[in-house]
Amino acid sequence: MTTATRVICGLGLLLLLAGAAGARDLPAADDYGKVILDNFSARAGLAPVRFDHWLHRAFFTCRLCHVDIGFAMEAKATRITADMNAKGFYCGSCHNGTTVFNGKKIFPSCAPGPAPAGSECVRCHSVGMKDERRYTYAAFTEKLPRQALGNLVNWEEAEARGLIKPVDLLPGLSTPRRHLDAQADFSIASKGFWMADIIFSHKKHAQWNGCEVCHPDIFPSVKKNAVKYTMFEIAEGQYCGLCHDRVAFPLNDCGKCHAGKARRQP
Amino acid sequence: MKRRAVILAAIFLGWWLLAAAPAPLGSIFSPQQVHAEEGWEAEFRAVCGRTDDAMTFSASELRGLIDRCDLLNARIGQLSEPQRKVFAKRLQMCRDLYVFTLEAKEKK
Repeated sequence: MTTATRVICGLGLLLLLAGAAGARDLPAADDYGKVILDNFSARAGLAPVRFDHWLHRAFFTCRLCHVDIGFAMEAKATRITADMNAKGFYCGSCHNGTTVFNGKKIFPSCAPGPAPAGSECVRCHSVGMKDERRYTYAAFTEKLPRQALGNLVNWEEAEARGLIKPVDLLPGLSTPRRHLDAQADFSIASKGFWMADIIFSHKKHAQWNGCEVCHPDIFPSVKKNAVKYTMFEIAEGQYCGLCHDRVAFPLNDCGKCHAGKARRQP
Repeated sequence: MKRRAVILAAIFLGWWLLAAAPAPLGSIFSPQQVHAEEGWEAEFRAVCGRTDDAMTFSASELRGLIDRCDLLNARIGQLSEPQRKVFAKRLQMCRDLYVFTLEAKEKK
């Protein structure tokens, strides 16, 4: 190998590493899955709302909030107002001062109009406020099993070990359903020979999401190989990328999806 | 004696206003109105509470559920906000899933 070839190879490797490092600029563990809501807060003289998925997903399934309560899958798209909450919808479905969860009354969402002194509005309208939140990421996740990336919690294992028990039904709002039958996992062939095939856990996804969170909006086909997903599209937030890399474990935790047999050699 | 009569009259008037008055006066709170709301909600639960079973339905059952969604859509459209917004979205998701399942079955 000539010196010139070595230099070119070295530079190429350097560029590759720099690209890989820059491609994923994930937030810190306590900010992973954070959503800032500020559609109407400023108008009401309040700080924007900080919503943490890591806190709520420990108690409720994705389906309960994104189907039964009706929260959009896109930040700020629901356009929640205090009036809607006060009527018992959206945040007010649970944050109404009367719903009891784990033996405690869930604090009420703030009422329309100016916030009275000593109100609990700041518990959610907390962006830029110091020490207003009662739950801290470190204390809340301390005893939960770990994973390497994202918000560093292995939620699947936490549920399997009984450390979290996400509720899937909200009395008065949810429609009672029979327990969803366990569906078999299936594999999706990886496009690159260097990656193992994807093992998709239909069981886990369906238990947490039901059917209508994913179909047909996110995955418009159930026929195998009918839609060709690429990692570029996924990284841009389509398909798996709508949740993974934003709330669920991130895309650079490759082995969690590409968990099948090692692929053939080229 | 007079006082008792006034109290009785007030109770009767209250009952009449809430339950027995003819529409539109009585329709604000009347049991008929409550039943009407329960009607659409019961239908919503009956139709959209079965999405987890979508794959087990036949094509004709799915078509029937889609038709019921369309009928419900008109009723939900008449609700006040934010109830309309929440249930219209839920109904849309539910209908879309049945359409999706039906198409998947018909393509097979």
